[in-house]
Amino acid sequence: MSEETIAPAMWEKLDRSAAETEVIATPSLTYWQDVRKRLWANKPAVVSIGFIVLLILAAIFGPIFSPFSYSDQNLKLANLPPVFEPYRVTDSSGTSTRFFLNASNFNLYQVSEGGQVEEIIRGERKDMLKKRQGFKFGDQAVTLDYSSLPAKLLNADGSVLRPEGLQWNMTYLFGTDQLGRDVLVRQMIGARISLTVAFVATLVNFFIGIFYGGIAGYMGGKTDAVMMRIVEIISTIPLTLYVILLMVVLDSGLISIVVAIGSVFWVDMARMVRGQILMLKSQDYVAAARTMGAGTGRILTKHLLPNSVGPILVTLTMLIPSAIFIESFMSFIGLGVTPPLASWGTLTSEAVETLRAYPHQLFFPAAAISLTMFAFNFLGDGLRDALDPRLRK
Amino acid sequence: MIGPILSVRDLRTSFFSQRGEVQAVRGVSFDVAPAEMLGIVGESGSGKSITCMSILRLLKANGRIKSGEALFDGRDLFKLDEDEMRDLRGNDIAVIFQDPMTSLNPTLTVGEQVIETILRHRRLTRAQARQRAIELFELVRIPSATARLKSYPHEFSGGMRQRVMIAMALSCDPKLLIADEPTTALDVTIQRQILMLLKELQTRLGMAVILITHDLGVIAEVTDHIVVMYGGMVMEQGNVRDLFARPRHPYTQGLLAAVPDLRDDTHHRLTPIPGSPPDMAHPPEGCPFAPRCPHTMQQCVAAMPPLFDGARCWLQHPEAPRVAGVNELEPA
Amino acid sequence: MATYVIQRLGLMLLTLFAIVTLTFFLMHAVPGGPFVSERMLAPEIEAALNAKFGLSDPIWLQYLHYLRGIAMFDLGPSFKYPGVSVNQMIADGLPVTLRLGLLAVICVIALGVPMGIVAALNRNKWPDTGVMLLATMGVAIPSYVIATVLLYVFALKLGWVPTFGLDDWRGYILPVLALAGFWISFVARLSRSSLLETFEQDYMTTARAKGLRPGQVLFKHGLRNSLIPVVTVLGPVVANLVTGSFVIEQIFALPGIGRHFVLSITNRDYTAIMGITIFYAALLMVMILIVDLLYLWLDPRIKLSRQSA
Ligand SMILES: Nc1ncnc2c1ncn2[C@@H]1O[C@H](COP(=O)(O)OP(=O)(O)OP(=O)(O)O)[C@@H](O)[C@H]1O
Ligand code: SF4
Ligand SMILES: [Mg+2]
Repeated sequence: MSEETIAPAMWEKLDRSAAETEVIATPSLTYWQDVRKRLWANKPAVVSIGFIVLLILAAIFGPIFSPFSYSDQNLKLANLPPVFEPYRVTDSSGTSTRFFLNASNFNLYQVSEGGQVEEIIRGERKDMLKKRQGFKFGDQAVTLDYSSLPAKLLNADGSVLRPEGLQWNMTYLFGTDQLGRDVLVRQMIGARISLTVAFVATLVNFFIGIFYGGIAGYMGGKTDAVMMRIVEIISTIPLTLYVILLMVVLDSGLISIVVAIGSVFWVDMARMVRGQILMLKSQDYVAAARTMGAGTGRILTKHLLPNSVGPILVTLTMLIPSAIFIESFMSFIGLGVTPPLASWGTLTSEAVETLRAYPHQLFFPAAAISLTMFAFNFLGDGLRDALDPRLRK
Repeated sequence: MIGPILSVRDLRTSFFSQRGEVQAVRGVSFDVAPAEMLGIVGESGSGKSITCMSILRLLKANGRIKSGEALFDGRDLFKLDEDEMRDLRGNDIAVIFQDPMTSLNPTLTVGEQVIETILRHRRLTRAQARQRAIELFELVRIPSATARLKSYPHEFSGGMRQRVMIAMALSCDPKLLIADEPTTALDVTIQRQILMLLKELQTRLGMAVILITHDLGVIAEVTDHIVVMYGGMVMEQGNVRDLFARPRHPYTQGLLAAVPDLRDDTHHRLTPIPGSPPDMAHPPEGCPFAPRCPHTMQQCVAAMPPLFDGARCWLQHPEAPRVAGVNELEPA
Repeated sequence: MATYVIQRLGLMLLTLFAIVTLTFFLMHAVPGGPFVSERMLAPEIEAALNAKFGLSDPIWLQYLHYLRGIAMFDLGPSFKYPGVSVNQMIADGLPVTLRLGLLAVICVIALGVPMGIVAALNRNKWPDTGVMLLATMGVAIPSYVIATVLLYVFALKLGWVPTFGLDDWRGYILPVLALAGFWISFVARLSRSSLLETFEQDYMTTARAKGLRPGQVLFKHGLRNSLIPVVTVLGPVVANLVTGSFVIEQIFALPGIGRHFVLSITNRDYTAIMGITIFYAALLMVMILIVDLLYLWLDPRIKLSRQSA
C-alpha cells in the first residue's frame, strides 16, 4: 500500500464540466459514409474503379475519335505488329527509305520518321526455292533471306542490315488484324459490346431477380414455397447450356445474347432478395409500418429494398464479370455477336486463329478481358468488405 | 491453511490490431483456493474472458501476454512449453464457454467429442473411454446417456448441450474448472438448473471453479470469493459476504445498487451504470472508473489508485475525505 | 435418408422433364429446324426424321414421340450426317470427355484444397500471398485465354507437350489444367476463407482447450467443417467443367462430346444439339445428386432439417 502523502488539493472534487469537454465527440459516421471510407481505403478496389471508369470512357468515346472504323479493312496492311524495328536504306542520290520487316509474313512496310506506316513495299519476284526476295531502293538492292529463321535482310555485299531500334506503330497503335483492321478501335468496340451486354444483361437479371425474390419473400407461405421450388428446379438446369440453346434459336446477334444471358441468371439474385426480405420481415419496424396502414407495395419499396441495397449491390458487381465471361464464351464458340462487330470473345477467337503466326494478337483481347475480370472481382470483394466489415478476412 | 491452487500475479495482456495496442488486461492478480468457487464479475469488455484465456494460453493470434505469472500447482503456466501446456489443458484445467451451441463441434457426435478428450489424456481403450463418457453423462444427468452419445449437438436443447460441455470438461477430473458465463446463453429457467449442477459437482468433486458471470444474484448464491473487474483491472476483491454487506468501491456499489433485492429468487442482470467503459486502446492514466464515478476527485484522474486492502479507490486512502456511504467510519 | 434420395430422384426426373420439354419447344421454334417440313435435307435424313418423329403429325404427337425416344434412351438421328444417330455421337465422344472431366475434378480437389490450407495456415505470409495471387489470376482469367496461353507457351514455343491429340499422357496436362484452372483457384480461395472462418469458431477454441494436438484440431475439427462449403460448390464445379470442356476440346482439338456439340452448333445439327443438351443435363444432375449425398454425409445438421421439411 502506498502511503506517501498526497497534496490536500488533490482531494478536491473534480470539476466535471472541465473533464467532460476534454472528451471531444468524434463525429459518428453514417453507415454509408462508413462504407465509402472503407471502400476508399481498399487500394485494389479503388484502382479497379479507376480502371473500369477508364474502360467505359474508352468504350464510349474511343471509337468516335479513332481515324478508323471497326470494319475498315486494308488487306495490304494486315497483321501489322504494334511495335517494330525500322531499317534505313539510303541510295546514292541521298533519298533514304525507312521500313520494317514483318517477320511473320516476310513483307516490308515503309514507315515515316515518326513511325507512321505508309505502304507495303513491292519487291521483286520471290525465289521460292532459295527462300529469298530482292528489293530495290533507288540504286540500292536489299535481299530478304528467310531460308533460316528469323528472316534477315542482306545488303548487296552480303552483310546483314541492322535495324535502328524499336519504334511504336503510330498509325495502328495496337497493330492490325488478319483483315488489316485497326486492333485498337476493334478493342474499344469489343469493350463497348462486351460491357453493354454485361450491364444490360445484369440489369435484366437484376429486375427479374428482385421482382421474383421480392414477391416470394414478401408473400411467404404457399406462394413462396411454390416459387422457391421452381427456382430450385431452374438452378439444377445447367444454365450455360440454355444460353447456348437460346442462342441457337434466336440466331447470333447483340440482342439475342442480351436476352439469352438476361433471362437465365437471375436465380441467385432472386434467392438473395428473398432471404433478405424474410430476414427483414421479422424485424419490428416492418410490423410497425404495417400497423400504421402502409400497403404492400409501399412496404416493399420504402422499407425492405433500401435495407437490402448492400447485398444486392455485391451480387450485382459479381454478376457483371460472369455476364462478361459468358458473353465472351458464347462469342468464342461462335454464338455471340456476328462479324464484323467485335466483342472480347470474338476478338480472342480471331486471335487464336492466327496464334501460330502472330501470337501477339492474342495479347490485347486476352489482357482486356482478364483485366476487366480482375477489376470487377476486386471491386466486388472490396464492396463486400466495405458493406460488412465482419466478413473481412 | 493450504496454498492456492492458482495464483495469478500482475497479468497484462494486449491485443495488437489496426487500432494499435488494445490493453485488455492491465495487471490483474488473484488467488483461487483448492475446492473453492471464485466469482469474477464486471461489465462487458472488462477483461474477464481474456484473463481466463490468458491463463489457458488460448489467446487469438494477435493477443500477447505481456507480463505476469500464473502459478498453478506451483508451476508458472506462462513458462511451460506448448506441449506441457497442452497436457494440462482439458486435464488439470478445463473450461466451459458461454454458448454451448457454438462451442460444440456440429459435425461430430457429442460422444466422440467427450471420448476424444478422455483418450487424449488417459491411457484407456476406446471402450473404456466410452464407458467413462456414459458415466459422465449420467453424472451431469443427461437422460438415456448411452443412446445420447451418438447424437449430434443440434439434436440437444441448449441446457442439455451445456451439460455435455460440463461432462466434457469434467472428463479428466480437472483440479480447476473455468466457467465463462456458462448460463448466459440459456433460458432463465434452465440457468438455475445448470448453476446448481455446477455447484453440486464442485462440492462433490472438490475442484476449484472460476465462475465468470454478469449475474450478481448467482455470485451471491454460489461463490466464496469474488473479483470485480473494470477496465482490465481488479477494482475490488474479497469474501462474498463482506463484499456484499460492505462494498467499498464506488463501482461495486453501483453494481449492487442496480440490484433491488438479492434475496428474492429472480436473477438480476447488471443494470448498466450511466456512461460507458474506457477505450482499452487508450486507457486513462488515472482511475478507469473516474468518468462515471459520482465521487471523482482531482487525485483520481492524476494517478492510478492502488489496491487499498482489496479496493482500488482513492477514497480508501487514509487521508481521503470521508464520503457518506463509501468510506465513512463504521457506525457503531 | 432413403426418403430423401427418392425425393431427390423425383425432383431430378421433374427437372429433366422440364428440360426436355423446354428443349423440344425451343427447337420447334427454329425456322428450318428439325420439326418443320419445308426445308432442304438429304432424303435419308428426311426419312429417318420422319420415321422417328412423324413430321406430319400434330406437334403434341411429335412431342410424345420425342419423349418416348428419351425414355428409351434414344436421342434420334443426326440432322446433318445421314445414318448417324445422336447416341452414336455421344458414345463416340464420351470416353474423352469423361476422362478429361474426371481428371479435372481430381485436380480441383487435390490441388485446390491443399492450396487453401497452406494459405490459411500461413495467413498473410508469403505462401498465402503467393497462393492468393495465383488463385486471383485463375479466377479472373477466362479458361479459353488460359488454354491458349498454355498452348502457345508449352506446346508451340517450348514443345514440351503435344499441341493436340491424346496419344500420350502428356497430351492431357494442358487441357486438364486449362479446364480446371478456374475451379482450382476458386476452391483454393473458398477453402482458405472457409478455414479462416472455421478457425474463429468457438468449437475450435474448445478443441484446443481440451488439449488436443494441433494436427487433431486442424484435421478432425477444422477441416471437416470448412470443407462443407467446398463440397457444396462441387456440384456447380462439375456443371461448369462440362461447359468449359466445349471450348477446351475445341482449342486442343480433342475428340470429346464438347467438340461434337460445338460442331453441331456451327452445322446447325439441331437434333444433335438437343440430344447432347439433354444428355449433359442428365449427366450433371446425377453428379449434383452424388455431391449432395456427400454433403449430407459431411454435415449431420442437414439430415434433420431436410427430413422434417
Ligand atoms: N482479438 C481481439 N483483438 C482486439 N481486442 C480484443 C480481442 N479480444 C478481446 N479484445 C478486447 O479485450 C477487451 C476485453 O474483452 P473480454 O472478452 O475479456 O471482455 P469480457 O469481460 O469477457 O466481456 P463479456 O462480458 O462481454 O464477455 C475488450 O475491450 C475487447 O475489445
Ligand atoms: S478512485 Fe476516484 S474515481 Fe475511481 S472509483 Fe475511487 S473515487 Fe471514483
Ligand atoms: Mg467474456
